[in-house]
Amino acid sequence: MPAPIQASNDRYPGEAGVEVANITKSFGPDEARVTVLNGVSLTIRKGEFVSLIGPSGCGKSTLLKVVAGLSEADGGKVSINGKSVREASREKAIGLVPQSPALLPWRTILDNVSLPISINPNANAGRKLRDPKEILTSFGLGKAIDRYPAQLSGGMQQRAAIARAFVFDPEILLMDEPFSALDEMNRDQQRMGLLDFWQSNQKSVLFVTHSVPEAIILSDRIVLMAAHPGRIAEIIDVDLPRPRNEALYATDAFRDLEGYVRNALRKVMEAAHV
Amino acid sequence: MSSSIAAEAAPKAKTSSPMARMAGDWLPPAVTFVIVAVLWQVVALNNPYVLPTLESVGNSMASDPHMYWANMLVTCQEIVIGAGAGILFGFLLAVAMSELPIIEKAMMPLIVVIMVTPVVAIAPALVVAFGFGMLPKYIVTGLVVFFPMLVNSLAGLRDVDQKALDVFKTLHASRWETFRDLRLPGCMPFVFAGLRIAMPLAVVGAAVAEFVAAGQQAGLGSLVTISAAQADLPVTWASIALLCLLGVVLVSLLALLRKRVLWWSDADVIGR
Ligand SMILES: Nc1ncnc2c1ncn2[C@@H]1O[C@H](COP(=O)(O)OP(=O)(O)O)[C@@H](O)[C@H]1O
Ligand SMILES: [Mg+2]
Repeated sequence: MPAPIQASNDRYPGEAGVEVANITKSFGPDEARVTVLNGVSLTIRKGEFVSLIGPSGCGKSTLLKVVAGLSEADGGKVSINGKSVREASREKAIGLVPQSPALLPWRTILDNVSLPISINPNANAGRKLRDPKEILTSFGLGKAIDRYPAQLSGGMQQRAAIARAFVFDPEILLMDEPFSALDEMNRDQQRMGLLDFWQSNQKSVLFVTHSVPEAIILSDRIVLMAAHPGRIAEIIDVDLPRPRNEALYATDAFRDLEGYVRNALRKVMEAAHV
Repeated sequence: MSSSIAAEAAPKAKTSSPMARMAGDWLPPAVTFVIVAVLWQVVALNNPYVLPTLESVGNSMASDPHMYWANMLVTCQEIVIGAGAGILFGFLLAVAMSELPIIEKAMMPLIVVIMVTPVVAIAPALVVAFGFGMLPKYIVTGLVVFFPMLVNSLAGLRDVDQKALDVFKTLHASRWETFRDLRLPGCMPFVFAGLRIAMPLAVVGAAVAEFVAAGQQAGLGSLVTISAAQADLPVTWASIALLCLLGVVLVSLLALLRKRVLWWSDADVIGR
């Protein structure tokens, strides 16, 4: 992949990226209404990788769904490079990687990854569509393009789902615990695959995870959420040099940060139990 | 391509010679059939008024193949046109219901009322309304297959993978794109389950239609009633055997079609 690899991110301070402003969301009937998101605000700059971490049930998926336009917030505003979520969706600016690969079992891997190009073709004008074959090759699935999802391992399926989200060059990628269904070894392999790919294709990413090392190795910033009601407890900068690789796990800087994030997470969870 | 996939996806059979495997598949049912045939003959030889002997059934078919063929064609016609229309209409109504919930709300109660009314009871009324031609028979045959097709197709269209639907929504897929690329292919396992129920019912429906909406007195079902009234047991049982054959052929054709269309569904089951 002939892409420039930079020590720091390609950030453009002047440009908006994704702005989440004061989002509130609650579920349930009036008398038993539960506030799931309570005034959540955050910014994802262009080309920035942001992870969302927090206890389960704190509203991470709900926030992601609001940003994806799959769920309507009760209050607040999301803008994607200055556009509303609805406009962004119409322009095919949002790439989604769900928790399960959700590939179409009757299509080959190549046809699955080509799907976002054939859907809503009006939005293809003037964008840098990727060649599905090439993107699958760079995800290590070059030999699997003519296979069907059921013939691939769970890890390979999830990689194809990630390729499907990158192929149409969206402005923001939303990933909801994409590796959580995989076993540990597979998960680490897929994580490194995503890290490599992202470092040569720096796109804005909002990445939900419950793994602290995963959040650190991938992210520029980690957004720590607290539960009941869901809110942002802390935003942690990950000032580790890029490009990163597995060797980073063994460094003191990584371990220090991991200790710090785990501690912050523990505090958030203890506070919830009092 | 698809054949190699089917081969890969298929569970690896235990390594035994093909001859032995074939014997293992065919021998037990063959033994059952032989035992039944022997018992049949014993009963038939001792009680000629209960069952005809197998040779008399065979002789009856051999002596007048054109008569059987002509009647079988009539029954086939009822199945192809009547059940075909019932299947198509059931599927299309399911599509309309899944796309426009108001249609389901408006029509489901009426359809349930029609479906709990015994077809056998409606048939004479249809004869009065539509005369002794083929139309009442088409309607009866169609009615019998319509409901399983509707219910199964609707379940299939609803059973869409929610995560895949989320992906379609974020891409701002049109309704048509979502239907064409997600709901329609995704509902096929249910459609085939519906067809698997509908095929034998189509034969039942055609035979019942000929019983109750006799009219032209043609078709294998009519042949059964007429010959039974005359105690002509070889003809009765020959007609029954042909109806049975018709059902077997339909179900086998369906299984072949399913293999071609739905190989991915079976592969899917094995893959997970
Ligand atoms: N559609 C819904 N209806 C009612 N409650 C919901 C719905 N979606 C999520 N919730 C609730 O909102 C809370 C946050 O859920 P979620 O965003 O899935 O959490 P997370 O992804 O952080 O584990 C949970 O308590 C969940 O029960
Ligand atoms: Mg979640």
